[in-house]
Amino acid sequence: MIRAGIAALLAGLALAGAPVRAGAASGAGALPPYAGLYQPSTVDERGLWMKADEYERQLRDSAFVIRDAALNAYVRGVFCRTVGPDRCAAVRLYVMRVPQFNATMMPNGALQIWSGLLLRVRSEAELAGILGHEFAHFERRHGLGRLRHGRVMTDIASWAGVLGGVSGLVVQTQAIGSIFTHSRADESEADLLGARYGAAAGYDARALPAIWMRLMDEADATALGRRQRSHRYDRVSFFASHPTSAQRAADLRAAAAALPPGGESGDQRLVGAIAPWRSAFLEDQLKLNDFEGTDVLLRQIAEAGWSEDLLFARAELYRGRGHPRDLVAAADLYRQAIGLNAGHPESWRGLGLALLRGGQVDEGRQALRHYLAARPDAADASMLAALLT
Amino acid sequence: MMHRLAAWLGAMSCILSPVAAFAQEKSASRPGFAMAPGACILLFRPDISVGAQSTGGIAEPNADWTQEAREHLDAALGRAQQGMGHPIVTAAAPVGEAAAALAAYRALFSVVADSVIEYQFFPGNRLPTKKRAGQFDWTMGPGVAALGQGSGCGYGLFLLTEDQFGSTGRKMLQIVALMARVPVTSGVHKGYAGLVDLRTGELIWLNADRQMGGDVRTADGAAKRVAQLLEGFPGAVPVPAGSGQ
Repeated sequence: MIRAGIAALLAGLALAGAPVRAGAASGAGALPPYAGLYQPSTVDERGLWMKADEYERQLRDSAFVIRDAALNAYVRGVFCRTVGPDRCAAVRLYVMRVPQFNATMMPNGALQIWSGLLLRVRSEAELAGILGHEFAHFERRHGLGRLRHGRVMTDIASWAGVLGGVSGLVVQTQAIGSIFTHSRADESEADLLGARYGAAAGYDARALPAIWMRLMDEADATALGRRQRSHRYDRVSFFASHPTSAQRAADLRAAAAALPPGGESGDQRLVGAIAPWRSAFLEDQLKLNDFEGTDVLLRQIAEAGWSEDLLFARAELYRGRGHPRDLVAAADLYRQAIGLNAGHPESWRGLGLALLRGGQVDEGRQALRHYLAARPDAADASMLAALLT
Repeated sequence: MMHRLAAWLGAMSCILSPVAAFAQEKSASRPGFAMAPGACILLFRPDISVGAQSTGGIAEPNADWTQEAREHLDAALGRAQQGMGHPIVTAAAPVGEAAAALAAYRALFSVVADSVIEYQFFPGNRLPTKKRAGQFDWTMGPGVAALGQGSGCGYGLFLLTEDQFGSTGRKMLQIVALMARVPVTSGVHKGYAGLVDLRTGELIWLNADRQMGGDVRTADGAAKRVAQLLEGFPGAVPVPAGSGQ
């Protein structure tokens, strides 16, 4: 399990999982110089690229890739604006239908961004910071550095293991720990560079810490709902590949303060671009069976106001849990959704089912008739019709 | 405190302990199945990866070795088909919906193959539905037919090889560890080959080996590897000259 974790760590670089490294990335606002169309040269790097190329052949044709031209053009547009047209041309971008918050970069420049991330970001500035973070992994060749560092450290750990004894165990522990420390330093560097890319492109870097604050709230709610121990944010665990969300938020806040103030957030553009997909992404989220986490997420998104799709998603969430009190809450939420848009048949369907289950038979059947009249060809039409008699 | 220490030791041994090799069956084919004489076999792009294994056991992929292996294995397959009685046709790289279908079925095949290896080839680990002697009943579903469309081939062949040659450091570690009575494996050489009926989706034959021979970076080694991969192939078994099997 842990070995697989190390292998995954060495193979690709992910956004979520996170001490700042002094050196190349330091100096206010400095960005690394662009080296042109980069080609791998050493045996290690060519090997990594070969594996990544093979992986990308599969990824390219995967059923999980969202091929919607408008959404792809939007994400790519934000990415190109963030890193500039030259750097942008070095990257293939894949928008993936995966409901968790993550983005990953392969050593060869294949960037994946998950739909769960698109659902959770608030503004173009946030998205730009994340895309800049992933590009920084590519530009700074973190994949290669991680392979080389990991190899040296597992070599040391193996010899220490054979030599044995308490001192052997101490050396082993330190060597394995160093792999994760190195990974966290890469992530911090990428966070910092991501903020700088965004700022250089005219985005407000002060938007970035909020992502991690919201993710902590959601993760805490999920942990609570699953009767798990809450995450610790005040100290980093040994095997953490990323700094804690609290650390990342604090580092990004400090980084933003050092950057020139100003820049736009582009929140309206982001909301507009995601809008055609939001219902689908919310539906994916509901299937995660994470009541508390989803409820917090919906309330976060609804800070700008409860729209019809958010009300419907929350109603579905409550009806899915199905306590008698949940059915009452769900019916109320469906009615609010219908109040905003009476032409949304799925709200009538949910309302009907919630009322029926709650014993309000006549009103329930009435609502279901609304649904069936609007969707006579629905896959569940005959099953629902059976509930009407 | 103690349980934390125990967790530590567990985690460390999990990282560093070598994987024990279990006895397994290597090959099985669908009982009573006869291939249509002369029917061609569609070969999907083989999954080939060659590299080194570092002292600590990390895979170090090597692009040159992989390229050499691809060329040698391709040539060796070309020679092997003469003894098989079925021409092997390399599948063209598809585009559009066909590409998506192929990607999905490749992924499905690797899951099915892994399941066969885990739940049928390890006798002690057999699923209750896979315990009958001589049984080999696995399918990918009739949707596989989409992969063969336009090729005129009735069968599809999937191949995978993965090689990690033990580095000098790994071999030294193995020797020193042996003196300390700690078993350490050096190198990974595994692969499988599977044949699918493109009309029904049924898995006709699967041959998997976690300890394969033949240095795929050389022409002779690749011929030996191909001979091992095609062992038990339904129909004629190719035996290339000088393979020494």
